[in-house]
Amino acid sequence: MRAVTGANLLTMSGVTAGYGGGDVLQGVDLTCVEGTVTCIVGPNGAGKSTVLRVLSGLLRPRSGTVTMAGARTDRLPPDEILRLGVAQVPQSHALFPAMTVRENVLMGGYLIRRQRALLAERLDMIGARIPIVRERAHDAAGNLSGGQRRMVEIARCLMLDPKLILLDEPSLGLDPRSLAAVADVIRTLHESDTTVLLVEQNVRLGLGLATHGVVMEGGRVRLTGTAAEVGEHPEMAALYLGGAPGQTPGRDRPSARA
Amino acid sequence: MAQLIQALVLGLLIGGVYALMASGLTLIFGVMHIINIAQGAFLIVVATFTWWLWRDTGIDPILASAVTAPLMFGLGWLLYRLVISRIRGQSPSMSVLLTFGIALVLEGILNVVAGNKFKSATPSYFADSFAVGPVHLPKTQVYGFLAAVVVLAGLYVVLTYTWTGRAIRAMSQNPSAAALVGVSPAGTAALAFALGSASAGVGGSILSVLYPFFPASHFDWISRLLGIVVLGGMGSLPGALVGALALGLAETLTATYASLRWSTLVFYLVIMVVLLLRPEGLFGARLREDGVAA
Amino acid sequence: MTSATGTPNQLRLLSRIPASHLAAGAAFLALALYPVVNPWNAYSQGVALLAFLLAIQASGWNIISGYAGYTSLGQSMFLGLGSYTVAIVGLHTGVNPFWLAPLGGVTAVVVAVLVGSVVLRTRGHAFVIITIALLLAAQIIATNFDALTNGSDGITLELPFWSSDYQNIPFYYAFLLLLVLAVLFSAWIRRTKFGTGLIAIREDEGKAAAIGVDTTRFKIAAYGASTFFAGVAGGVYAYFLTFLNPVGAFAILGSVMIVLSSLLGGRGTLYGPVVGAFIVQGLNEAATVYGGGTGSRVLLMGLALVAVVLFLPAGLLPTAQRLWRQRRPQTVEHTDQRGALATPSRADVIEARDRAELGDGEDRADVIAGDDVAVPLLELRGLTKRFGGILAVDNVDLTVRKGTITAIIGPNGSGKTTLFNLVTGTMAANAGEIRFAGRRIDGLPPWKRGHLGLGRTFQVTRLFREMSVLENVVAPLPDGRWRTMLADAVSGAEADRARELLDVVGMGRFAAQRAGSLSYGQQKLVELAQVLMLEPELMLLDEPAGGVNPSLLDRLKDVIREVNARGITFLVVEHNIPMVLDLCDPIVVFSRGRPIAEGPPAQIRSDPIVLDAYLGDDWRPTSSGSGGGPVPGGSVPDHELSTGRG
Repeated sequence: MRAVTGANLLTMSGVTAGYGGGDVLQGVDLTCVEGTVTCIVGPNGAGKSTVLRVLSGLLRPRSGTVTMAGARTDRLPPDEILRLGVAQVPQSHALFPAMTVRENVLMGGYLIRRQRALLAERLDMIGARIPIVRERAHDAAGNLSGGQRRMVEIARCLMLDPKLILLDEPSLGLDPRSLAAVADVIRTLHESDTTVLLVEQNVRLGLGLATHGVVMEGGRVRLTGTAAEVGEHPEMAALYLGGAPGQTPGRDRPSARA
Repeated sequence: MAQLIQALVLGLLIGGVYALMASGLTLIFGVMHIINIAQGAFLIVVATFTWWLWRDTGIDPILASAVTAPLMFGLGWLLYRLVISRIRGQSPSMSVLLTFGIALVLEGILNVVAGNKFKSATPSYFADSFAVGPVHLPKTQVYGFLAAVVVLAGLYVVLTYTWTGRAIRAMSQNPSAAALVGVSPAGTAALAFALGSASAGVGGSILSVLYPFFPASHFDWISRLLGIVVLGGMGSLPGALVGALALGLAETLTATYASLRWSTLVFYLVIMVVLLLRPEGLFGARLREDGVAA
Repeated sequence: MTSATGTPNQLRLLSRIPASHLAAGAAFLALALYPVVNPWNAYSQGVALLAFLLAIQASGWNIISGYAGYTSLGQSMFLGLGSYTVAIVGLHTGVNPFWLAPLGGVTAVVVAVLVGSVVLRTRGHAFVIITIALLLAAQIIATNFDALTNGSDGITLELPFWSSDYQNIPFYYAFLLLLVLAVLFSAWIRRTKFGTGLIAIREDEGKAAAIGVDTTRFKIAAYGASTFFAGVAGGVYAYFLTFLNPVGAFAILGSVMIVLSSLLGGRGTLYGPVVGAFIVQGLNEAATVYGGGTGSRVLLMGLALVAVVLFLPAGLLPTAQRLWRQRRPQTVEHTDQRGALATPSRADVIEARDRAELGDGEDRADVIAGDDVAVPLLELRGLTKRFGGILAVDNVDLTVRKGTITAIIGPNGSGKTTLFNLVTGTMAANAGEIRFAGRRIDGLPPWKRGHLGLGRTFQVTRLFREMSVLENVVAPLPDGRWRTMLADAVSGAEADRARELLDVVGMGRFAAQRAGSLSYGQQKLVELAQVLMLEPELMLLDEPAGGVNPSLLDRLKDVIREVNARGITFLVVEHNIPMVLDLCDPIVVFSRGRPIAEGPPAQIRSDPIVLDAYLGDDWRPTSSGSGGGPVPGGSVPDHELSTGRG
């Protein structure tokens, strides 16, 4: 447990970044308050995943600043950022397929590998929170289903007890049951006051998990607010399908929702 | 019948030694995708050093690996840091050419320093055999095999239970995920190269007793090791083990029943057949195109 | 005959030849005249002819390892093969080795092609390993197969039939002639589509396959081509040595010197291997004279190889060229001040379109005249692809009709990119079939699909960066015929066609520029022209709008429409919905591995299914706005998008 101060854990200011050709991010301003779950949504090409890459240090921004947990991080290499307490779960292929589940999770603690007591303690705690770590401890990670792998990936990133967790499309390729499990884990993370920033393709899923939402399009932030505010916003459809603002295709349909 | 059993056992014994020698090569490839052509030269350098040590101090050649292994660990680490790491990220053919050059430099140095004659370390038990029923097993082969097994077991322990070993395995299996958890690519690569060199250290010491050698022998040896690794699958340690045993058996059986002269050709034949039928080897990963999921 | 300005035509012709060729010509003349000027210096002639011999081999090596990028570490084997062939045949027939030399070339090529057809079918490390193993195997076979080769005792040949006073001169000229032929051969290859194909293989083998290069055939042909002159030279060399033995004929040092020569001079260039060979042979001589025996030469060559790899990897000639260019920047003709975003007028594009032939090849299905809008061109039936536990493409039936610009849209994870890869041949399906113009293509390699009329672009453009824009567009092969492969790529019909296609996409003025220096959007246009060279019936575009800035996007749409108007069907996978709504009809919407809607833009724009596919409909927020859950059981909307697949 950590005290939630209400301070900004993460601030991106005027960040531009890209690969080779043009800039994918065209001046991103983004903040995450400590203890919140923020979800970034937006159409493809909006730059959502690029934001995560900048935050985890895999991509250096061309301009702008990134501040996390009080420190400037836009010029730091990935392992420094890891040490500062920022962990990332990438979109896919993040496990070591020939290693067991237990070893995979253990590898998450690579940076604290010399503190064996701490390692054991963390492993224990994670095993309690995420059942699959104990249930399939000695199975090779390559034999797990998509949903199970995602759980192990999340478990692994908890080994360093991070302050901020970055999740890149956690729902990708998952069946509804696994989705429910992932949602549960995110909920428990939130309850233990870990700050979560996730990127989601599936808008309703993502905003459903979050306390706050950010809508990106064309490399910029277009909307921010609480998850409910953002989710109900009339501009959403327009942003996705390129219709004029105010035009909300599909809005008038028989709603089977409560 | 006795002849068959003898051939089979001998084949396994020599296969074990081959496995040790090939393990370094496949380990290095698995971690950094470099085919270390100089691995054969490492063997001959160590063999020469062991021979010289034995000749001047009487130290048993196989036991001398206790000295040569850590020595090679250090030298391998230095070689990686100072020379090989400079071409990280360049095309694989460059690493082949570089290690090819290093092999030649080592051969040249050996030629100058140690001369071009065949050498062989011949400790007291050199000509003796263990008699197990109708089968005669030369003591050198048996001791060599035991040493190989010990070292391979040690390698297994290091890779499975130490953090260095885990980092090495992580990097071979998924380099980007390894970077994500904080594993340092350069440092781990250097350690993997050092480990691979250390295994050559033991392999070379054993070699000095089992086979006569001279500086240019390294090409013969690297060809065999490459055959083993191609058969087993580049980067796979279990593959190297299986491949080594299989080729050791094939070689010994050919020598026993066909002709000694043609026995080394078996390696090259196997390479050709494997590449024809299953290019990725027995345990290797099938090379795929850039398949983007969904 | 003189031109209008009065300058003799010969002089004008001379000034248009590149400096490198002039220098080479001058060097050749000097070398040819040297023994005439100085006939009695047998030693220097001997050094020179050995340099020629090394240069012949290095030039050959350059074809497989320089142009195609497949490093051969045992190339000296072919010299030995040639020597032994000639020696053996000479022994048995009594014919003079000089006349038998071409047989040596034949043996070399046959062996190379046989080995290549086993080992060059895959990418990766197999080739390098095999070449080393082969050299050593050759030595073992030569040593042990005494009946044929006399084993380690070796073969002694007859002495040359001319006086020993000018003993080396005939060999000097023989090797010089072979060197000239080898270099001309290499130059010719480079000029053809065979040559551009090899370089394409080196730069990006997957992309080469996608543009119709039968990579296996090309590589095998290159390996064979790399050995012919070395084999012939081997025959002459045997006569020169008059004694052959396995250790000498198949020594590794020879291979090392070949590799070093090409690397030092400039791998992949025409004259680099020759220049490098002269230097290396000189080094070799120096080592023999001043140093010790083989040992010191091996050390020297090893050090040289390490040094070149670490400090001069590009080689002498390319490095010198680069430094020269830095000091004297050339004003290149194509530098048009209107810059990267220059848009040709619509009239230009139409004119170019009318000039260019965008039509049929021979392997094509017949076009049903008249009613061909309704004809299905691409049909997918029951197509399925699994990755581990994930069903990426789920039993898909889809038809693309001729003449349309069909789009597939859908969120990440919907399977559209996987589907795309299945059609292009990048991946193999688990089940189902793909028919193109009525013919099943799901077993065929990418280049075969290219020959049948299926072209594709890539999400991140894959041009051959080191080649010029024009070379990039000339490189594709619309069919598998040898005649096409050996067609001239630099001038002539192919190049003209490529120029016209570049004009169609509006990139004509960049023809001579290095492809790697273009902007992203420009590369996309060039890639389009490249695919058009394949004379496709169906073009598959993978996210064509990705990363392109809006001003070029309009031109891209125009080009696609123009090309479509000429009868080429398009299948586009795209995320940029406004572009798709503007350009494409019909539009297919994918979700969870299946198509869920198909229709014209107006229909798709207002279909609620589409929005749901993107925003996700099977998840509802609870009233607290955080930690929602899936809708239990019921309330599944009409369109089946949840677990119960209909």
